[in-house]
Amino acid sequence: MTAERSNAEEPRLSIRGPSRRLPLRGRALRSLVTALAFPVAGLLALTAGGHLLLPFDGVTTLEGKIASKSEFFEDEKVQRILMKHGIRVHITRMGSRDIATTGFDGYDFAFPSGQPAADMIKNDRKRKNAYAKGHSAFVSPIVLATYREYAETLRDNGLARPRQGMAADEKSPLYYTLNMKRFIGLSAGGKKWSDIGIEKHRTTNGNRILAQTSNICEANHAGTYLGLVAFVENGNSVPTDNAAADRVARMIKPTLVSQGLPSEQMFKTYEVPEGKGLAPIVVVYEHQYFAYQIRQRQQTGKPDSQRVLLYPSTQFLTEPEYIALTPKGDRLGELLASDEQLQRRAMELGFRVLDSSGKATSTELYRFLEDQGIPAPASAADDTKATLPSLPLLERMITSVGDCPPPNRTPETAS
Amino acid sequence: MRRRPHHLRPHPRAPHPRAPRRRGPRRRVVLALCLALLGTATACGSGDEESTTLHVLASSELRDMEPLLADLRRDTGVDLDMEYKATVDAGDGLRPGAYHHDLAWLSSDRYFQLRLKESRSTAKPLSTTTMLSPVVVGVKPETARALRARAKGGQVSWADIADAAAAGSVRFGMADPKRTNSGLSALVGVATAAAGTGSALRAKDISCDRLRGFRTGQKLTADSSADLREQYIAHQDRLDALITYESELLSLNAGGKLHEKLEIIYPKDGMVLSDYPLLLLDPAKRKAYDKVVNWLKSASTQKKIMERTLRRPLGADVRRDPRLRADIGNALYFPDQRAVVDQLVEDYGDPRLPTARHVIFLLDFSTSMRGARVASLRAAFAGLSGADTSATGKFVRFYQGERVTVMRFGGRVLAERDVTVGGRRDLDSVKSFVAADDFDNSTAIWSALDHAYGKASGIARDHPGQPISIVLMTDGENTSGITRQEFERRYAARAETVRGVPTFPLRFGEADTAELTRAARTTGGRMVDAGARSLPEAFKEIRGC
Repeated sequence: MTAERSNAEEPRLSIRGPSRRLPLRGRALRSLVTALAFPVAGLLALTAGGHLLLPFDGVTTLEGKIASKSEFFEDEKVQRILMKHGIRVHITRMGSRDIATTGFDGYDFAFPSGQPAADMIKNDRKRKNAYAKGHSAFVSPIVLATYREYAETLRDNGLARPRQGMAADEKSPLYYTLNMKRFIGLSAGGKKWSDIGIEKHRTTNGNRILAQTSNICEANHAGTYLGLVAFVENGNSVPTDNAAADRVARMIKPTLVSQGLPSEQMFKTYEVPEGKGLAPIVVVYEHQYFAYQIRQRQQTGKPDSQRVLLYPSTQFLTEPEYIALTPKGDRLGELLASDEQLQRRAMELGFRVLDSSGKATSTELYRFLEDQGIPAPASAADDTKATLPSLPLLERMITSVGDCPPPNRTPETAS
Repeated sequence: MRRRPHHLRPHPRAPHPRAPRRRGPRRRVVLALCLALLGTATACGSGDEESTTLHVLASSELRDMEPLLADLRRDTGVDLDMEYKATVDAGDGLRPGAYHHDLAWLSSDRYFQLRLKESRSTAKPLSTTTMLSPVVVGVKPETARALRARAKGGQVSWADIADAAAAGSVRFGMADPKRTNSGLSALVGVATAAAGTGSALRAKDISCDRLRGFRTGQKLTADSSADLREQYIAHQDRLDALITYESELLSLNAGGKLHEKLEIIYPKDGMVLSDYPLLLLDPAKRKAYDKVVNWLKSASTQKKIMERTLRRPLGADVRRDPRLRADIGNALYFPDQRAVVDQLVEDYGDPRLPTARHVIFLLDFSTSMRGARVASLRAAFAGLSGADTSATGKFVRFYQGERVTVMRFGGRVLAERDVTVGGRRDLDSVKSFVAADDFDNSTAIWSALDHAYGKASGIARDHPGQPISIVLMTDGENTSGITRQEFERRYAARAETVRGVPTFPLRFGEADTAELTRAARTTGGRMVDAGARSLPEAFKEIRGC
């Protein structure tokens, strides 16, 4: 939003309300008071902070379509760092696949949570000969966030085992490894939590065992989870042709659609005090869980020992890609990829950041967690690494399992 | 500030709604300062507003937000012009893509989402959850005690409520599922529990209506939750329970108009949560929408919402009122197909109309039934009379007002008895009827079925519109009386209403699968093979079909 109010309007506005004796009344007066008060407070804050953060001219607002990574831009420290560079971000939140399948007019950047949507966007821009420039800054694996009672019930049934880690506590571990093959098997068999002894942990739940996701047609984590389930069900290999994709899609559909109408922003639902009843197992990104625990640690002095993480035995690392749609948007992309403060902050928000060679490691992140008094999980080298099918095949499976509407892209003006 | 800020300009009286409102550079500086240094957009909001009126299609439940809207206006300059409608109506009025309002604020947008999904081409409006409340059951203390005493582990389920409703010991009020979100949420909750799959309902889960027993307990309905509350207050002495939002029940308890406070039961088998989404229908109003959303989600507003409406706040930042700390239980999965929801609502019918069906049980009492088979039949009837304590058993049991005709047959119809279920005595009468030992040496299946259709014809004549079905239980082949062909000829000659009565054969022992399947198909029923599972299970399976 950089278009400015036309100057011709101003004189007209300034002579409005001629019948008023005093121009400063009511709202206008309050506005004046506020206008005076806040900059003063602001200046004080500036001095107290010791450095002048703001260039007073040329703050650019960038319009962006973002999915789960909006949490990064909602962080106050991130906002402050960006402001130092004269950038403010205005977010329109939607699922990653929606980001890719709706129009780009009026946006400076798109930031889907994973590679499939990023590839869709870049392909589309290329076809239209439109501006697109990608930047990578951090990665995060797909995980299942749950509650102690559920993790322990899975453990009782031999599906989950505590994941070794620095300072791991055998009795109340925060991290477990989940046998994906068996977990999917239970779910596909229509088993309910009440069938596998959840009552032993003083919890009742007659719902079918499954991991909840947002809408498969919209969200990257849901599409990625589908890819993960497909990989496991296809004997730890990626479907490579239409016939295989269709067969696997048919096979996994019943498990994935039993949750009915999906809700958005699963992690927010998981976080609320009622979360255990609303979203007992949700598919999320590792960074969301760590960000939550870091906040918990700051607010209460210790991590939340009831909310725990299941690492699927078959892992998938998501690589969100920032895509600048305008040269203006590219400046933020450069910053995300190179600015040390932003990188540092991303790590403090639970992301695995890329090192100088562009390789993602969890070392720095886990050290930071330890420093924060949060046990870090062991990075398990023996986990199988899943691969997603090619984009056309993944799309084919997503639209078939989710019964998704065709893309709703508005005609693009040449840019 | 070197230059005169824009704030000094007198406020334009009527802003041009279509004119792009873009910030000048100086205003951006002020905002930037506020945002960057104080980190709170709301603190800065009051100086920055341009007054805007947004037209909102709102669920009638949200009337209680009215007093907060003045604060919203004061803090953000955004005025919400609310047009209230009962939610499901609002969901219906919200035709995807053809909007007449700037925003919609609903108790739940699930039905709208189903319509959106069906339209396949319309972009999804931005949507933000604003608060939470589950649909649960408020019960008078004495009834609550009785329910708990009968429930497994003292945890009451929807099945227990349905069981008590069918037995006449719980009379409840619930808003119309066709018109309100609370009614629809309750109906989906109870139907999901009745299906017992733990998954979102599919079409095949509701092909038979297992909620007849539950429905007989509904003695009060209303077109809105507010109306339901008033009606409950007026008729509270004739009712035992109220199914509605947790927030409504807590407000009622706090309102001083109840003779007995209602204990809140969070059904063990789960509930459906309302999350009060605010939808942006006109994307041009995005800026004002953002202001409203930020204001609503702020901790101070969330706290006010909780205090005023007793809905649950978002996030953990707001310390919950002690009344809002109860475990709400599990959220049931909501169906993702509109056809399923529509079918469910249609089957439930108009809560004002009587519900009872008439079922004719045609029971084979040929000598081959003697012994274990008849014992199994008697167990099935005992189960339907209330002895079956499984969740499905509680849903499909005989219910108040249900009309039952039992017929024993061998080479001819040996005896028949009509019962309208009222109390224990009526159920005992059915029990003693199937306890008889007058087995016959031959089996005249088709003559007996023809006789049952004669009976159905009489019922249809005396009670037009009464739903009737026939359950034919047999364990052998036809050995006397008319042939199936002759039965079919007579059936075809009957009045249309009588031909609409379906027969559900329960195949047992040596009975002829092909013949029975054919009879089911001719009459619009379905054959169930009781050999594959127990006879009581087979009886349960076709209840409500």
